[in-house]
Amino acid sequence: MQDGHLVQLDSVRKSFGDNLVLDDIDLSIDRGAAIVVAGPSGSGKSTMLRCINGLESIESGTIRFDGRPVKSSGREIYGIRAQIGMVFQQFNLFPHMTVLQNITLAPLEVGDAGREPSERRARDLLERVGIPEKAGDYPADLSGGQQQRVAIARALAVEPKLMLFDEPTSALDPEMIREVLDVMRDLAREGMTMIVVTHEMGFAREVCDRIVFIDEGQIVEQGTPDEFFNHTQSERAKEFVDKIIHH
Amino acid sequence: MSGLWEVLTEHLPEFSSGFFVTFRLVAISFVIAMVVGTLVAAMRVAPVRWLNVVGGVYVEFFRNIPLLVLLIIAFAGLRRAGVPINGWVAGIGSLGLYTASYIAEALRSGVFAVGRGQIDAALSLGLSYPRTLRRIVLPQAFRTVIPALASLIIAMIKNSAIVGASIVALPDLLKESRQVQAETFQTNEVFFWAAVGYLVLTLTATLAFRYFESRFQIRR
Ligand SMILES: Nc1ncnc2c1ncn2[C@@H]1O[C@H](COP(=O)(O)OP(=O)(O)O)[C@@H](O)[C@H]1O
Ligand SMILES: [Mg+2]
Repeated sequence: MQDGHLVQLDSVRKSFGDNLVLDDIDLSIDRGAAIVVAGPSGSGKSTMLRCINGLESIESGTIRFDGRPVKSSGREIYGIRAQIGMVFQQFNLFPHMTVLQNITLAPLEVGDAGREPSERRARDLLERVGIPEKAGDYPADLSGGQQQRVAIARALAVEPKLMLFDEPTSALDPEMIREVLDVMRDLAREGMTMIVVTHEMGFAREVCDRIVFIDEGQIVEQGTPDEFFNHTQSERAKEFVDKIIHH
Repeated sequence: MSGLWEVLTEHLPEFSSGFFVTFRLVAISFVIAMVVGTLVAAMRVAPVRWLNVVGGVYVEFFRNIPLLVLLIIAFAGLRRAGVPINGWVAGIGSLGLYTASYIAEALRSGVFAVGRGQIDAALSLGLSYPRTLRRIVLPQAFRTVIPALASLIIAMIKNSAIVGASIVALPDLLKESRQVQAETFQTNEVFFWAAVGYLVLTLTATLAFRYFESRFQIRR
């Protein structure tokens, strides 16, 4: 299915108990687009990403990925998740596996690739994220920036059609943020479809096609970086931009 | 009257046969306890309600009945019910399944120590829940609970003496030692060697687990 949006959310609602976290979200993402999602803490950004790959269930509305409905339960979801890479704030590398094992896990367990090609591809990916020499190390031996780059390589190993990034640089020391953003920028340039939750407004300005601003579970405003930064519409977005830029 | 050393050399056949019966008993029970304990722990943490219940009932049943009572049920009870069960099956079954309930609980606590983020990461790669459990959660849970498992296995080795002392009456180290004691009346000497036999097993287990701990330790 090549036509249509790669990701489409229609009237998505989600609550935790009586806390309404996603309130009627409509969002569509074209193939090859890089979207930045911004908004205050607790506004529902992580939850939205987690609904897109079915880590959370939704209450009402629909989510479609590549034309297929995303449901958090049932066998279908495994196939969908294998086409969506996710990168977390806390890296979440598997500490009992080497870097190489982390990256080849999904191709070996989920795909039908053999060990040899999976490892070759893993080494290529490590090359691409700039740490080919770390294949045999354990995650604990790596810096935060290196761990996050391994996490990106791990997510790319299944050749996803979509990458989700949930504040990938928020847990990093400032000097390591650059190296991770560089990898993400290259990915976007190569045409990867990606949704990036981040406070890195420099990255947003420079790399993304569209910024989606969320507050209290609603999409308050969205537009190109120029529209968002220079012609901000809503009060809430203005406040947010002010706070984050003059900080 | 012969000395400490003579008691051992003169009765070496009894001691060594008892030792190896105990060794076989604990070795096989250990395997059963680990396998069943892992399965029960997996049931208890699976996202399937009825599996949780079955796992919970298992643990509460085997953990809350004295081993001696289990042995009597397994041996005499089943025989009376017409099940032709022999001493080995009753002994290994009781000791293994009893210990499994503790191992399941230890592993379950280890599973809870594995962060939610680990599960999210595995699921997001497309792994199914059972695979996530097998490749990500349980291997980490095992590593965290190795010290706890060591204590449980040592307790199991000591508990194995109950099998020899019970109506199951396997000719284990304890049973054979009592036999020698009845012949020689040298209680202190005989049970000194019985204690040494158990110490050999428990200390070996301790060292093995210490090795596993250093070998498989997870640095975070
Ligand atoms: N698993 C959960 N259980 C209960 N409440 C949750 C859970 N995850 C998130 N929330 C709540 O949902 C709201 C949105 O959270 P989140 O999506 O993490 O926001 P953001 O990523 O924008 O900071 C918050 O109020 C948070 O406390
Ligand atoms: Mg968040």
